[in-house]
Amino acid sequence: MDYGNYGGGGYTSYGAGGGVGAGGFSINYGGSQGGSQASPGGSASRGGRSASTLRPVTIKQVLEATQPHPEAEFKIDDVELTQLTLVAQIRSVSEQATNHTYKMDDGTGSLEVKRWVEATAIPDGPSQKLQPNQYVRVLGTLKAFGGKRHLGAHHIRPITDFNEIHYHLLEATAIHLQLTKGPPEQFGQTTGGVGHQMHGQGHGRDVAMGGMGAAAGGGGGSRQYPPDASFHCKKLIDAVRSKPQHTDGTHVNTLAQMSGLSLSEVEKAIYELTAAGLVYTTLDDNHVKILEEQI
Amino acid sequence: MTEQTPRINAPLLQQYIGRTIRLVGKVSDVQGNGATLDSSGVVTVYLDRDSNLKIGNAVEIVGKVNPDLTVKVLTSTDFGENLDMRVYEDLVGICQQYKEIFYDS
Repeated sequence: MDYGNYGGGGYTSYGAGGGVGAGGFSINYGGSQGGSQASPGGSASRGGRSASTLRPVTIKQVLEATQPHPEAEFKIDDVELTQLTLVAQIRSVSEQATNHTYKMDDGTGSLEVKRWVEATAIPDGPSQKLQPNQYVRVLGTLKAFGGKRHLGAHHIRPITDFNEIHYHLLEATAIHLQLTKGPPEQFGQTTGGVGHQMHGQGHGRDVAMGGMGAAAGGGGGSRQYPPDASFHCKKLIDAVRSKPQHTDGTHVNTLAQMSGLSLSEVEKAIYELTAAGLVYTTLDDNHVKILEEQI
Repeated sequence: MTEQTPRINAPLLQQYIGRTIRLVGKVSDVQGNGATLDSSGVVTVYLDRDSNLKIGNAVEIVGKVNPDLTVKVLTSTDFGENLDMRVYEDLVGICQQYKEIFYDS
């Protein structure tokens, strides 16, 4: 079965709408983000939940992060910080032999960001140099040295799509609210749409802002279907619900019979549900199991 | 904290007289060192030198709000043609609603 045929069709909007589990790490906070590069300091005391997270924050949150005692991990909203990411404007640049220090400002405060220069690194060409007033996204860890806080940056890249600045602040708000007030009750899945949609080569260069409208105004939505589910998709789910599914999954032909849809309609619906992470293949590509209880 | 520059739009200017703010708007007119921005309402801004504002583009300015609700620009950053102004409008509201992570007071 070649689902690739549908790739360019109208189905991309489903993913971009950020439905069930497809979108950002606001729902999966505590998940696998940044797992491979986590805990450079190797603190054993880190809780499992926040051990490998990348948290979007504002500089004000960084400046107000609490530290129970001098060697402890910093906390924001009572959750330990590991990796964090922020979007800010460079105010000044100071380049030394071993590190570059930037003063950054995101409107909520200002913070020093240090990036160590790797001896083996190829020197940046003039075009890659970061300039004052440029907006950048920074990934790093919060450090304190001599009572002064700075961010140890692993990665800094210029912002090219300025929507990312506003997006980042909305994302930081969404995470803050989730951690202080709990996940949104009815629209827990919809709010995920605020999260990262990374297209192609990582780093969220193309930031999809989908999902906000749904989060704000999506009243009265049915809980029985994934948000934005197509007609065929709903029909398929109804059919599957009408009869217990075999653990080995169901053949697509059988699904077509059960739902009264054509084979290609079933395939489209499965493609849509696959994008949302609600279907997996079992015995072979033609047998699928729908995670109806997750819907 | 003095280094904060709250993100606002035209309807909020009144509340920020005398303060340094950040404002994103679409440039609708440029005349000499003055320009008109649209940011959920009309804002008149004054630049020190000849502006390099491009009509039709979004721009972010950091500036001080004068008593007559014009803004004296300290710095400006071109945000290009593709900025979603509705997102900015929502963001301004959210910054006001959840000040705890954005601004003091």
